[in-house]
Amino acid sequence: MSEQITEKDHTINENYRQKPKVAVYVCHCGGNISDIIDVKKVAEELSKYPNVAISREYAFMCSSTGQDYIVEDIRNNGINRVVIAACSPALHELTFRGALSRAGLNPYLYEHVNIREQASWVHKNDKEGATLKAISLTKAGVEKILRQDPLNSIRVEAVRGVAIIGGGIAGMRSALSCADNGLDVSIMEKSGSLGGNLNRKGKVYPSGKEAFEIANELSKKVLSNPKIKVYLNSEISFIGGYVGNFQLNVKKSDGKFEKVKAGAIIMATGFSHYKPQKGEYGFGLADRVVTLPEFENLLENSGEKALEISGKKVSSVAFMHCVGSRQIDGIDAPGKNGKVNEYCSRICCGSIISSANRLKEKFPEISVFDIYTDMRTYGMEHEKYYKKASENDIIFFRRPLEERPKVEIGVEKVNIKTKDVLTMNEEMEIEADLLVLGTGMEPNDISDLVEYLKLPRSSDGFLQEVHPKLRPVEVANNGIFLAGTAQGPMDIKETLQAANTASVKAAALLSSPDIPLDPFVAVVDEDKCTGCGLCPKECSYEGALIMIEKDVKGKKKKVASVNPALCKGCGACAAVCEPRAINVAGWTLDQFDAMVEAIAKE
Amino acid sequence: MSENKEFVCDSLIIGSGIAGMQAALDIGDAGYNVIMVEKSPSIGGKMISLSKVFPTLDCASCITTPKMAASSHHPRVKAFTYSEVEKIEKTNEGFEAEIIKKPRFVIESECISCKKCEESCPVHLEDEFEFGLGVKKAISIPFTNAIPQLPVLDESKCIRCAACARVCPKDCIDYLQKPEKIKIKAKTIILATGYEITPMTAKKEYGGGRLINVISSLQAERLLAPHGPYGKVLRPSDGKIPDSIAYVQCAGSRDESIGIPYCSRVCCMYAVKQAMLLSGSLPLSEITIYYMDIRAFGKGYEQFYNQARAMGINFVKAKVAKITEDQEHNVILRIDKQEEGSVPMEVKHDMVVLSQGLLPSNKNFFGLNIEKNEYDFVASSKPDFSPALTSTEGVFTAGTACGPKDIPDTIMEAGSAAMEAVNYLKSVKI
Repeated sequence: MSEQITEKDHTINENYRQKPKVAVYVCHCGGNISDIIDVKKVAEELSKYPNVAISREYAFMCSSTGQDYIVEDIRNNGINRVVIAACSPALHELTFRGALSRAGLNPYLYEHVNIREQASWVHKNDKEGATLKAISLTKAGVEKILRQDPLNSIRVEAVRGVAIIGGGIAGMRSALSCADNGLDVSIMEKSGSLGGNLNRKGKVYPSGKEAFEIANELSKKVLSNPKIKVYLNSEISFIGGYVGNFQLNVKKSDGKFEKVKAGAIIMATGFSHYKPQKGEYGFGLADRVVTLPEFENLLENSGEKALEISGKKVSSVAFMHCVGSRQIDGIDAPGKNGKVNEYCSRICCGSIISSANRLKEKFPEISVFDIYTDMRTYGMEHEKYYKKASENDIIFFRRPLEERPKVEIGVEKVNIKTKDVLTMNEEMEIEADLLVLGTGMEPNDISDLVEYLKLPRSSDGFLQEVHPKLRPVEVANNGIFLAGTAQGPMDIKETLQAANTASVKAAALLSSPDIPLDPFVAVVDEDKCTGCGLCPKECSYEGALIMIEKDVKGKKKKVASVNPALCKGCGACAAVCEPRAINVAGWTLDQFDAMVEAIAKE
Repeated sequence: MSENKEFVCDSLIIGSGIAGMQAALDIGDAGYNVIMVEKSPSIGGKMISLSKVFPTLDCASCITTPKMAASSHHPRVKAFTYSEVEKIEKTNEGFEAEIIKKPRFVIESECISCKKCEESCPVHLEDEFEFGLGVKKAISIPFTNAIPQLPVLDESKCIRCAACARVCPKDCIDYLQKPEKIKIKAKTIILATGYEITPMTAKKEYGGGRLINVISSLQAERLLAPHGPYGKVLRPSDGKIPDSIAYVQCAGSRDESIGIPYCSRVCCMYAVKQAMLLSGSLPLSEITIYYMDIRAFGKGYEQFYNQARAMGINFVKAKVAKITEDQEHNVILRIDKQEEGSVPMEVKHDMVVLSQGLLPSNKNFFGLNIEKNEYDFVASSKPDFSPALTSTEGVFTAGTACGPKDIPDTIMEAGSAAMEAVNYLKSVKI
């Protein structure tokens, strides 16, 4: 299926110079649009609009058949500009650009009009109105594309190296995969060793392996790989640059600074265990209330004869699920960020059950209680642990979702009162020598990195991917990838998979010597520019827009100058330019004028 | 059987569902040649038949069709659809696979997808794409956005009336077409063979597939799909709009009595999602989910579950013991409500959806020596180092072939398997 460039392609490529022949395609989106909007009417109205040569409607424009229509019309019917009225451009703009390219037309001679989010979905109770709006928006799209010049992606040279922030298992897995792919890798780790949260004694779930052994297997390979450079005890004081050319200022363990260059960045900054607030389920009020990681440590270091806390033998232990997870606004106290953690931390149910089992297997005479609300031992191996817990005589209490157990610290015991669904919502009282809080995951504090790179975060505070299915390890900023629990709670296996996915994307990005970027950046008309200097003041991107002195038609002149790799095409500069000397390519003020006029005419 | 044709590629991917396609795209993007082999007539797998997907509620087609189109247009990705893998052998140079391309009884290179054959065919059959809820013709293109857009003739149901052959403008109906044997040489294999849902008949107490208004979760997906069989939600027995719909959770998971003790990871969330979609399309209907634990563990899933509760969907902690029906085919559930002391009671619903679990689709791996886990899913040989590796060097796995999981997790695994395959290809240099 290789596509060879033919004579015909060159003609098609030059076709835009001919009289405009616009093709309009109205997509049904399988009912998402056509259930509300009269797509036939939209197509019909547009067929009468000036410069429109073809107007069609189809069930799924994004499908292969839909795309074939476009290719066919360009190749055989002389179409030189395309408007597609469909879903959000975020979903399929790239899909259709691909179709134009395949047909030999400049991929930017197409306008994507959103009649789903902006018409059918929001006006589902007004079918006629939605149809009229779709017609107006599509006409505006036609006006815009008539004023569109063919654009070419900006190509930036790329450094064939990856900077990985975080030396836990996600960072190490990414490092090994990137290095095997032939990339130079730097790992920046803030602590004194690799391994992150697995750099500890104690067994992990569900494999039952020693945590540090998992970390060691990876770190041995990382440390012996000549393509990987590890910066331990390092701090990142600044990150600048752009995709292909990031620059990280790294403060090394010896206090000296080093500049690290990278074509891509992998964020493997990991998680911290939730730290309960003082008094939350008795935490911080007595040493008899501990977190799950603290308990793991205690169990690991206990002798074979007895489990002891502060020198006292423990004969009963209670585990509490969902501490710092699945919190409810108004019931739970907000954290430092002023918000509660609404999310489920995914791994705690399994970890708690696994710890409780190991406790019971080491000290069968200890009574073990487990207070949960939904037992989320998802996955194949996990359910076995839950069953084992019942066989181990662990006693379960199921609290209603909105109820919170009350914890009182007694002289020698911890007293827990909870409603129990399993016994008809009866109030139960549990006395235990030790209460273990099943603490969840929180993203590590990386606010400085978030600030340097302007990274998006989701409402739960973890880094936010573009789309969980379409672009699951990418953020909106080009060249930055997510690996592991920086993105959200995951177990070890899931983390390793995510890290490899981040690597495959970074490797693909850096597989050619230069990276194509969208051409929607500010462009200066140097003849019109008066050199007033207003626009750089509006620019939010360091280095994207500066004033320079240069020769314009034989005269020395002060003009605005854009670095296209840094410009994000926001248009703040265009808004303040009185002579209209600066414009965002593909979104010029003339285009906006024409679109507004087309809509206002109705 | 016609003669052997031979193809060579870097990576042979078995299965072209979301896992297979994503792996193909990632390997193709890295510069290697990929062949996908798909047993169904179209690429796209199960995902293309779903309605909307959690937690973003994007329509499944909106996510799947671009991946289908991208893999079919990718210069380094080729797909054999309607083809079965007979066997795969490990050789000194990698792997050699034998594929049987089943006859569509249509000359593929000539067909222009005009659908005239389909329109003219007088034979109506149950449509497997609609999981039996709709009808199709004995010769038909499998579904609207199928790739390739080629009809398949069901030889066993065709009455040889030649109506299709008469209307075909390209004269490409070929009743004598034979299966074709194809040999593929590859350096790596990716097992992305996916899942099947547990059969309706798995649990006799739940009607064993006999009760007409007890439907499967995939049927419910089709009822809710924007381009589904009826365009709205109707119950099968009498076409009535159901006023009360119930979901029975863990109907095929976490149940040792049917040999599936594991949790299938996706059923809670797809039930919550379907319930939300139902309450959108049938605002007056009462929707109840009978569950043991709601396992909303993924990113944004708890918030999604909270949203469903706020929408008024009833979540009832109860184990369903038995399902029967009355004379009007209303469904009667015998349940033990946990909150009310497990006293057995009976409740009636117009329609019931069984939240079935996931089983491996393929268990023999075509003669490859692949270690399985105790439930016949592909086992990872190094789960704590790189989980995409299998017990045979050069063979990688992704998605539900190696255990139940949702779409985001599947896509992550596909990328991971692709990374391992690409780096393996770099290292072997054969």
